[in-house]
Amino acid sequence: MAFATIDLTKGITGVLPSANATYSTPRLNAQPLIINGDMAVAQRATSTSSITSDGFHTLDRFQTHISSLGTWTQSQDTDVPSGQGFANSLKMDCTTADASPSAGDFCIIRTKFEGQDLQLFKKGTSNAEKFTLAFWVKSSKTGTHIVELFDIDNSRTVSQAYTISSADTWEKKVVNFPADTTGAFGDDNGRSLDIQFWLGTGTTYSSGTLQTTWAGQTNANRAVGQVNLADSTSNNWYITGLQLEVGEYTSSTLPPFQHESYEDNLQRCQRYYEKSFEQGTTPAAGTSAPDGRVFGSWDGASARTQIDFATTKRASPTVTVYRGSNAGSGTATGTANFIYSGAWNNHTCVSNHADDSQVSLTGSTSNFTTNGAFVADMNFTADAEL
Amino acid sequence: MISQVQKLVFMGEESKMLKVTFSNGIESCVPKDEANKDYQEILQWVADGNTIQEAD
Repeated sequence: MAFATIDLTKGITGVLPSANATYSTPRLNAQPLIINGDMAVAQRATSTSSITSDGFHTLDRFQTHISSLGTWTQSQDTDVPSGQGFANSLKMDCTTADASPSAGDFCIIRTKFEGQDLQLFKKGTSNAEKFTLAFWVKSSKTGTHIVELFDIDNSRTVSQAYTISSADTWEKKVVNFPADTTGAFGDDNGRSLDIQFWLGTGTTYSSGTLQTTWAGQTNANRAVGQVNLADSTSNNWYITGLQLEVGEYTSSTLPPFQHESYEDNLQRCQRYYEKSFEQGTTPAAGTSAPDGRVFGSWDGASARTQIDFATTKRASPTVTVYRGSNAGSGTATGTANFIYSGAWNNHTCVSNHADDSQVSLTGSTSNFTTNGAFVADMNFTADAEL
Repeated sequence: MISQVQKLVFMGEESKMLKVTFSNGIESCVPKDEANKDYQEILQWVADGNTIQEAD
Protein backbone atom coordinates (compact mmCIF):
# COMPACT_ATOMS: atom_id res chain seq x y z
CA MET A 1 0.00 0.00 0.00
CA ALA A 2 1.39 3.42 -0.96
CA PHE A 3 1.53 6.08 1.68
CA ALA A 4 0.06 9.51 1.06
CA THR A 5 1.60 11.89 -1.44
CA ILE A 6 1.13 15.64 -1.61
CA ASP A 7 0.40 17.10 -5.03
CA LEU A 8 0.22 20.89 -5.09
CA THR A 9 -2.64 20.78 -7.59
CA LYS A 10 -4.60 17.84 -6.09
CA GLY A 11 -3.79 18.15 -2.42
CA ILE A 12 -3.15 15.03 -0.34
CA THR A 13 -3.84 11.70 -2.05
CA GLY A 14 -3.34 8.13 -0.93
CA VAL A 15 -3.60 6.74 2.55
CA LEU A 16 -2.06 8.47 5.51
CA PRO A 17 0.20 6.19 7.59
CA SER A 18 -2.00 6.64 10.62
CA ALA A 19 -4.89 5.08 8.72
CA ASN A 20 -2.89 1.96 7.97
CA ALA A 21 -2.61 0.66 11.48
CA THR A 22 -4.60 0.41 14.67
CA TYR A 23 -1.99 1.85 16.98
CA SER A 24 -2.92 4.79 19.14
CA THR A 25 0.54 5.72 20.40
CA PRO A 26 2.67 6.97 17.50
CA ARG A 27 6.40 6.63 18.16
CA LEU A 28 7.72 9.09 15.62
CA ASN A 29 11.49 9.45 15.79
CA ALA A 30 11.68 7.22 18.85
CA GLN A 31 14.45 4.67 19.34
CA PRO A 32 13.64 1.06 18.44
CA LEU A 33 12.11 -0.86 21.34
CA ILE A 34 14.32 -3.88 20.62
CA ILE A 35 17.96 -3.11 21.34
CA ASN A 36 20.50 -4.55 18.90
CA GLY A 37 17.76 -5.90 16.63
CA ASP A 38 20.16 -5.59 13.70
CA MET A 39 22.67 -7.87 15.48
CA ALA A 40 25.50 -5.36 15.09
CA VAL A 41 26.91 -5.45 18.64
CA ALA A 42 28.62 -8.56 20.01
CA GLN A 43 30.76 -7.46 22.95
CA ARG A 44 31.18 -10.86 24.60
CA ALA A 45 32.24 -12.83 21.51
CA THR A 46 31.42 -13.21 17.83
CA SER A 47 31.26 -16.99 17.99
CA THR A 48 30.80 -19.47 20.82
CA SER A 49 30.76 -23.23 20.37
CA SER A 50 29.60 -26.15 22.51
CA ILE A 51 26.61 -24.28 23.93
CA THR A 52 24.53 -26.45 26.25
CA SER A 53 23.67 -23.95 28.97
CA ASP A 54 22.06 -20.54 29.43
CA GLY A 55 24.02 -17.44 28.66
CA PHE A 56 24.58 -14.30 26.65
CA HIS A 57 27.07 -16.09 24.43
CA THR A 58 27.60 -13.65 21.55
CA LEU A 59 25.21 -10.88 20.53
CA ASP A 60 24.31 -8.28 23.13
CA ARG A 61 20.80 -8.48 24.58
CA PHE A 62 20.14 -11.96 23.13
CA GLN A 63 20.25 -14.85 25.56
CA THR A 64 20.26 -18.57 24.86
CA HIS A 65 17.89 -20.35 27.24
CA ILE A 66 18.43 -24.09 26.94
CA SER A 67 17.76 -27.31 28.77
CA SER A 68 19.22 -30.54 27.37
CA LEU A 69 18.25 -29.97 23.75
CA GLY A 70 21.27 -30.42 21.51
CA THR A 71 24.62 -28.67 21.40
CA TRP A 72 24.99 -25.44 19.46
CA THR A 73 27.43 -22.98 18.01
CA GLN A 74 26.13 -19.42 18.10
CA SER A 75 27.72 -16.72 16.00
CA GLN A 76 27.36 -13.22 14.68
CA ASP A 77 27.08 -14.00 10.99
CA THR A 78 27.29 -11.93 7.83
CA ASP A 79 24.58 -13.93 6.05
CA VAL A 80 21.74 -11.40 5.80
CA PRO A 81 18.66 -10.70 3.68
CA SER A 82 19.77 -8.97 0.52
CA GLY A 83 19.12 -5.28 0.09
CA GLN A 84 17.58 -4.64 3.51
CA GLY A 85 20.42 -2.66 5.06
CA PHE A 86 21.49 -5.33 7.53
CA ALA A 87 25.10 -6.48 7.85
CA ASN A 88 24.77 -9.11 10.57
CA SER A 89 22.53 -11.87 11.81
CA LEU A 90 22.44 -14.24 14.77
CA LYS A 91 23.13 -17.80 13.70
CA MET A 92 22.38 -20.96 15.65
CA ASP A 93 24.08 -24.07 14.28
CA CYS A 94 23.23 -27.46 15.75
CA THR A 95 26.46 -29.42 16.32
CA THR A 96 25.13 -32.33 18.38
CA ALA A 97 21.64 -33.49 17.53
CA ASP A 98 18.82 -34.58 19.81
CA ALA A 99 16.10 -36.06 17.63
CA SER A 100 14.07 -37.36 20.57
CA PRO A 101 13.78 -34.62 23.19
CA SER A 102 12.73 -35.54 26.69
CA ALA A 103 9.53 -33.90 27.86
CA GLY A 104 11.15 -30.92 29.58
CA ASP A 105 13.86 -30.20 27.02
CA PHE A 106 13.92 -26.90 25.15
CA CYS A 107 16.08 -24.39 23.37
CA ILE A 108 15.06 -20.72 23.14
CA ILE A 109 16.64 -17.49 21.91
CA ARG A 110 15.21 -14.55 23.81
CA THR A 111 15.57 -10.85 24.49
CA LYS A 112 14.27 -9.15 27.65
CA PHE A 113 12.77 -5.76 28.44
CA GLU A 114 12.60 -3.48 31.45
CA GLY A 115 9.04 -2.68 32.49
CA GLN A 116 9.68 1.06 32.45
CA ASP A 117 10.33 0.83 28.70
CA LEU A 118 7.02 -0.90 28.03
CA GLN A 119 4.51 1.44 29.64
CA LEU A 120 3.39 2.64 26.19
CA PHE A 121 1.70 -0.73 25.67
CA LYS A 122 -0.69 0.20 28.52
CA LYS A 123 -0.89 -3.46 29.39
CA GLY A 124 -3.31 -4.26 32.15
CA THR A 125 -5.59 -1.34 31.32
CA SER A 126 -8.73 -1.01 29.23
CA ASN A 127 -6.65 0.91 26.68
CA ALA A 128 -4.08 -1.85 26.24
CA GLU A 129 -2.29 -1.92 22.87
CA LYS A 130 -1.59 -4.80 20.53
CA PHE A 131 1.97 -5.89 19.78
CA THR A 132 3.50 -6.37 16.34
CA LEU A 133 6.78 -8.24 16.04
CA ALA A 134 8.63 -8.28 12.72
CA PHE A 135 11.87 -10.04 11.85
CA TRP A 136 13.85 -11.68 9.07
CA VAL A 137 14.48 -15.39 9.53
CA LYS A 138 16.21 -18.14 7.57
CA SER A 139 16.51 -21.82 8.37
CA SER A 140 17.29 -25.15 6.85
CA LYS A 141 14.25 -26.43 8.76
CA THR A 142 10.93 -25.56 7.15
CA GLY A 143 7.60 -25.75 8.89
CA THR A 144 5.99 -24.28 11.98
CA HIS A 145 8.03 -22.23 14.42
CA ILE A 146 6.81 -20.52 17.58
CA VAL A 147 7.54 -17.06 18.98
CA GLU A 148 6.19 -16.15 22.41
CA LEU A 149 5.70 -13.06 24.55
CA PHE A 150 6.22 -13.84 28.24
CA ASP A 151 4.96 -11.30 30.79
CA ILE A 152 7.34 -11.95 33.68
CA ASP A 153 5.54 -9.61 36.10
CA ASN A 154 2.25 -11.46 35.87
CA SER A 155 3.27 -14.92 34.59
CA ARG A 156 1.14 -14.51 31.49
CA THR A 157 2.04 -15.68 28.01
CA VAL A 158 0.88 -15.53 24.42
CA SER A 159 2.35 -17.44 21.47
CA GLN A 160 2.06 -17.23 17.71
CA ALA A 161 3.21 -19.58 15.00
CA TYR A 162 5.12 -18.49 11.95
CA THR A 163 5.96 -20.68 8.99
CA ILE A 164 9.33 -21.04 7.31
CA SER A 165 8.22 -21.90 3.80
CA SER A 166 11.48 -22.35 1.92
CA ALA A 167 14.64 -23.90 3.28
CA ASP A 168 17.74 -21.74 3.44
CA THR A 169 15.90 -18.64 2.23
CA TRP A 170 15.50 -15.34 4.06
CA GLU A 171 11.83 -14.62 4.80
CA LYS A 172 10.31 -11.61 6.53
CA LYS A 173 7.69 -12.33 9.16
CA VAL A 174 5.21 -9.90 10.66
CA VAL A 175 3.51 -11.42 13.69
CA ASN A 176 0.61 -9.82 15.58
CA PHE A 177 -0.09 -10.38 19.25
CA PRO A 178 -3.31 -9.25 20.94
CA ALA A 179 -3.58 -6.59 23.60
CA ASP A 180 -3.82 -7.68 27.22
CA THR A 181 -6.12 -5.80 29.59
CA THR A 182 -4.92 -7.93 32.50
CA GLY A 183 -1.63 -7.52 34.34
CA ALA A 184 0.36 -4.31 34.09
CA PHE A 185 4.10 -4.21 33.47
CA GLY A 186 6.02 -2.86 36.46
CA ASP A 187 7.21 0.70 35.93
CA ASP A 188 10.77 -0.02 37.00
CA ASN A 189 14.12 -1.44 35.88
CA GLY A 190 13.06 -5.03 36.47
CA ARG A 191 12.50 -7.71 33.88
CA SER A 192 8.92 -7.47 32.63
CA LEU A 193 8.76 -9.03 29.17
CA ASP A 194 10.68 -11.65 27.21
CA ILE A 195 10.36 -12.24 23.48
CA GLN A 196 11.15 -15.93 23.08
CA PHE A 197 11.94 -17.74 19.84
CA TRP A 198 11.57 -21.47 20.35
CA LEU A 199 14.02 -23.69 18.44
CA GLY A 200 12.68 -26.96 19.79
CA THR A 201 11.03 -28.51 22.82
CA GLY A 202 9.63 -31.66 24.39
CA THR A 203 6.03 -32.38 25.25
CA THR A 204 6.02 -30.38 28.49
CA TYR A 205 5.74 -27.22 26.42
CA SER A 206 3.96 -28.55 23.34
CA SER A 207 1.35 -31.12 24.27
CA GLY A 208 -1.63 -28.75 24.56
CA THR A 209 -3.26 -26.15 22.32
CA LEU A 210 -1.24 -23.15 21.22
CA GLN A 211 -2.18 -20.18 23.42
CA THR A 212 -2.71 -17.35 20.94
CA THR A 213 -4.44 -15.00 23.38
CA TRP A 214 -2.96 -13.76 26.63
CA ALA A 215 -3.56 -16.05 29.60
CA GLY A 216 -1.85 -17.32 32.68
CA GLN A 217 1.21 -19.47 32.05
CA THR A 218 0.23 -22.97 30.93
CA ASN A 219 3.40 -24.71 29.82
CA ALA A 220 1.72 -27.28 27.58
CA ASN A 221 0.27 -24.48 25.43
CA ARG A 222 3.39 -22.43 24.86
CA ALA A 223 5.18 -24.02 21.88
CA VAL A 224 2.67 -26.37 20.26
CA GLY A 225 3.73 -27.34 16.75
CA GLN A 226 7.33 -26.15 17.05
CA VAL A 227 9.62 -28.15 14.75
CA ASN A 228 12.75 -29.58 16.32
CA LEU A 229 15.76 -27.65 15.06
CA ALA A 230 17.95 -29.93 17.16
CA ASP A 231 17.04 -33.09 15.26
CA SER A 232 20.00 -32.89 12.86
CA THR A 233 23.45 -31.40 12.79
CA SER A 234 22.53 -30.12 9.33
CA ASN A 235 20.12 -27.65 10.92
CA ASN A 236 20.72 -23.95 11.40
CA TRP A 237 18.60 -20.88 12.13
CA TYR A 238 19.37 -17.23 11.41
CA ILE A 239 17.55 -14.11 12.55
CA THR A 240 18.00 -10.36 12.15
CA GLY A 241 16.04 -7.15 11.77
CA LEU A 242 13.92 -7.61 14.88
CA GLN A 243 11.35 -4.87 15.30
CA LEU A 244 8.66 -4.48 17.96
CA GLU A 245 5.87 -1.99 17.34
CA VAL A 246 2.93 -0.72 19.37
CA GLY A 247 -0.31 -1.62 17.60
CA GLU A 248 -1.29 -3.96 14.81
CA TYR A 249 0.54 -3.79 11.49
CA THR A 250 0.70 -5.87 8.35
CA SER A 251 3.64 -6.39 6.05
CA SER A 252 2.23 -3.49 4.01
CA THR A 253 1.76 -1.03 6.84
CA LEU A 254 4.74 -1.89 9.04
CA PRO A 255 6.98 1.15 9.60
CA PRO A 256 10.51 0.75 8.25
CA PHE A 257 13.18 -0.75 10.51
CA GLN A 258 14.83 2.06 12.47
CA HIS A 259 18.53 1.66 11.79
CA GLU A 260 20.71 3.16 14.52
CA SER A 261 24.35 4.14 14.32
CA TYR A 262 26.74 1.55 15.78
CA GLU A 263 27.62 4.04 18.52
CA ASP A 264 24.01 4.56 19.56
CA ASN A 265 23.39 0.83 19.49
CA LEU A 266 26.53 0.10 21.53
CA GLN A 267 25.62 2.73 24.11
CA ARG A 268 22.17 1.21 24.59
CA CYS A 269 23.76 -2.25 24.96
CA GLN A 270 26.20 -0.88 27.54
CA ARG A 271 23.34 -0.17 29.91
CA TYR A 272 23.35 -3.97 30.32
CA TYR A 273 26.96 -4.96 29.66
CA GLU A 274 30.19 -3.01 29.43
CA LYS A 275 33.80 -4.05 29.06
CA SER A 276 37.15 -2.29 29.20
CA PHE A 277 38.45 -4.57 26.45
CA GLU A 278 38.56 -3.13 22.95
CA GLN A 279 35.43 -3.73 20.89
CA GLY A 280 36.17 -6.82 18.84
CA THR A 281 38.18 -8.42 21.63
CA THR A 282 36.60 -11.28 23.53
CA PRO A 283 37.06 -10.78 27.28
CA ALA A 284 39.73 -13.15 28.56
CA ALA A 285 42.69 -13.21 30.90
CA GLY A 286 46.05 -12.55 29.35
CA THR A 287 44.70 -9.98 26.91
CA SER A 288 46.79 -6.90 26.33
CA ALA A 289 45.69 -3.93 28.43
CA PRO A 290 46.82 -0.29 28.49
CA ASP A 291 48.80 -0.92 31.71
CA GLY A 292 47.79 2.51 32.91
CA ARG A 293 45.32 1.96 35.73
CA VAL A 294 46.74 3.41 38.93
CA PHE A 295 45.88 1.97 42.34
CA GLY A 296 46.73 3.78 45.57
CA SER A 297 47.61 1.98 48.79
CA TRP A 298 46.75 3.40 52.18
CA ASP A 299 48.08 0.61 54.37
CA GLY A 300 50.75 -1.29 52.45
CA ALA A 301 48.44 -4.28 52.03
CA SER A 302 45.56 -3.06 49.89
CA ALA A 303 45.37 -0.64 46.96
CA ARG A 304 42.25 0.83 45.41
CA THR A 305 41.06 2.50 42.22
CA GLN A 306 37.72 3.79 40.94
CA ILE A 307 36.33 3.51 37.40
CA ASP A 308 33.38 5.46 36.00
CA PHE A 309 31.22 3.46 33.60
CA ALA A 310 30.73 4.65 30.02
CA THR A 311 26.97 4.35 30.44
CA THR A 312 24.70 4.28 33.46
CA LYS A 313 23.85 0.70 34.22
CA ARG A 314 20.36 -0.76 34.58
CA ALA A 315 21.31 -1.89 38.09
CA SER A 316 24.44 -2.51 40.13
CA PRO A 317 26.47 -4.83 37.87
CA THR A 318 28.38 -8.02 38.43
CA VAL A 319 32.05 -7.12 38.03
CA THR A 320 34.73 -9.47 36.73
CA VAL A 321 38.42 -8.47 36.75
CA TYR A 322 40.75 -10.13 34.23
CA ARG A 323 44.52 -10.05 34.59
CA GLY A 324 46.35 -8.59 31.60
CA SER A 325 49.13 -10.05 29.50
CA ASN A 326 52.18 -8.95 31.49
CA ALA A 327 52.19 -11.79 33.99
CA GLY A 328 51.13 -15.15 32.66
CA SER A 329 50.64 -17.05 35.86
CA GLY A 330 48.02 -16.75 38.51
CA THR A 331 44.27 -17.02 38.51
CA ALA A 332 42.66 -15.78 35.31
CA THR A 333 39.84 -13.79 36.89
CA GLY A 334 39.64 -12.01 40.20
CA THR A 335 43.26 -10.92 39.80
CA ALA A 336 45.33 -8.17 38.23
CA ASN A 337 49.00 -7.69 37.49
CA PHE A 338 50.73 -4.96 39.51
CA ILE A 339 54.19 -3.61 38.87
CA TYR A 340 56.69 -3.18 41.69
CA SER A 341 60.34 -4.08 42.25
CA GLY A 342 60.84 -3.84 38.51
CA ALA A 343 58.47 -6.67 37.57
CA TRP A 344 54.82 -7.49 36.99
CA ASN A 345 53.22 -9.60 39.69
CA ASN A 346 49.80 -11.22 39.80
CA HIS A 347 47.62 -10.62 42.87
CA THR A 348 44.00 -10.76 43.96
CA CYS A 349 41.88 -7.90 42.65
CA VAL A 350 38.16 -7.76 43.40
CA SER A 351 35.37 -5.23 43.43
CA ASN A 352 34.62 -3.75 46.83
CA HIS A 353 31.78 -1.61 45.48
CA ALA A 354 29.69 -1.30 42.33
CA ASP A 355 26.65 0.83 41.60
CA ASP A 356 24.95 1.92 38.40
CA SER A 357 27.59 4.58 37.70
CA GLN A 358 30.96 3.32 38.91
CA VAL A 359 33.01 0.51 40.32
CA SER A 360 35.74 0.46 42.93
CA LEU A 361 38.43 -2.22 42.77
CA THR A 362 40.78 -3.38 45.52
CA GLY A 363 44.06 -5.22 44.95
CA SER A 364 45.76 -7.10 47.77
CA THR A 365 49.40 -7.95 48.48
CA SER A 366 51.82 -7.27 51.31
CA ASN A 367 54.22 -6.01 48.65
CA PHE A 368 52.34 -2.73 48.41
CA THR A 369 53.81 0.19 50.35
CA THR A 370 51.81 2.64 52.43
CA ASN A 371 50.82 5.74 50.43
CA GLY A 372 52.32 4.14 47.32
CA ALA A 373 50.82 4.21 43.82
CA PHE A 374 50.88 1.06 41.69
CA VAL A 375 50.23 0.68 37.98
CA ALA A 376 47.98 -2.27 37.14
CA ASP A 377 47.62 -4.45 34.05
CA MET A 378 43.98 -5.56 33.94
CA ASN A 379 40.61 -5.38 32.25
CA PHE A 380 37.07 -5.70 33.55
CA THR A 381 33.52 -6.44 32.54
CA ALA A 382 30.38 -5.08 34.20
CA ASP A 383 27.19 -7.10 33.66
CA ALA A 384 23.77 -5.68 34.54
CA GLU A 385 21.72 -7.84 32.18
CA LEU A 386 18.15 -8.71 32.93
CA MET B 1 25.79 -22.15 37.58
CA ILE B 2 27.24 -21.13 40.93
CA SER B 3 29.98 -23.23 42.52
CA GLN B 4 30.91 -21.09 45.53
CA VAL B 5 29.98 -17.79 47.19
CA GLN B 6 32.11 -15.98 49.74
CA LYS B 7 31.71 -12.78 51.74
CA LEU B 8 34.24 -9.97 51.28
CA VAL B 9 35.57 -7.75 54.06
CA PHE B 10 37.38 -4.47 53.51
CA MET B 11 38.79 -2.31 56.28
CA GLY B 12 37.05 -4.47 58.84
CA GLU B 13 33.58 -4.09 57.33
CA GLU B 14 31.59 -6.62 55.37
CA SER B 15 31.28 -5.51 51.76
CA LYS B 16 28.06 -5.12 49.82
CA MET B 17 29.72 -7.35 47.21
CA LEU B 18 30.01 -11.14 47.24
CA LYS B 19 32.79 -13.10 45.56
CA VAL B 20 31.25 -15.78 43.36
CA THR B 21 32.92 -18.65 41.53
CA PHE B 22 30.85 -19.93 38.64
CA SER B 23 31.02 -23.47 37.30
CA ASN B 24 33.04 -22.28 34.30
CA GLY B 25 35.78 -21.14 36.70
CA ILE B 26 35.14 -17.41 36.35
CA GLU B 27 35.41 -15.44 39.60
CA SER B 28 33.22 -12.36 39.78
CA CYS B 29 31.97 -9.88 42.35
CA VAL B 30 28.20 -9.65 42.66
CA PRO B 31 26.45 -6.75 44.41
CA LYS B 32 23.76 -7.49 46.98
CA ASP B 33 21.21 -5.84 44.71
CA GLU B 34 18.02 -7.76 44.12
CA ALA B 35 17.82 -6.24 40.63
CA ASN B 36 21.07 -8.01 39.72
CA LYS B 37 20.34 -11.34 38.01
CA ASP B 38 23.39 -13.02 39.54
CA TYR B 39 22.34 -11.96 43.04
CA GLN B 40 18.89 -13.36 42.29
CA GLU B 41 20.64 -16.61 41.38
CA ILE B 42 22.62 -16.50 44.66
CA LEU B 43 19.42 -16.06 46.66
CA GLN B 44 17.96 -19.11 44.92
CA TRP B 45 21.23 -21.01 45.46
CA VAL B 46 21.00 -20.28 49.19
CA ALA B 47 17.29 -21.18 49.24
CA ASP B 48 18.30 -24.52 47.71
CA GLY B 49 20.36 -25.24 50.82
CA ASN B 50 23.80 -23.87 49.94
CA THR B 51 25.85 -21.69 52.26
CA ILE B 52 27.76 -18.47 51.70
CA GLN B 53 31.29 -18.83 53.08
CA GLU B 54 32.76 -16.33 55.50
CA ALA B 55 35.50 -14.03 54.28
CA ASP B 56 39.14 -15.16 54.38
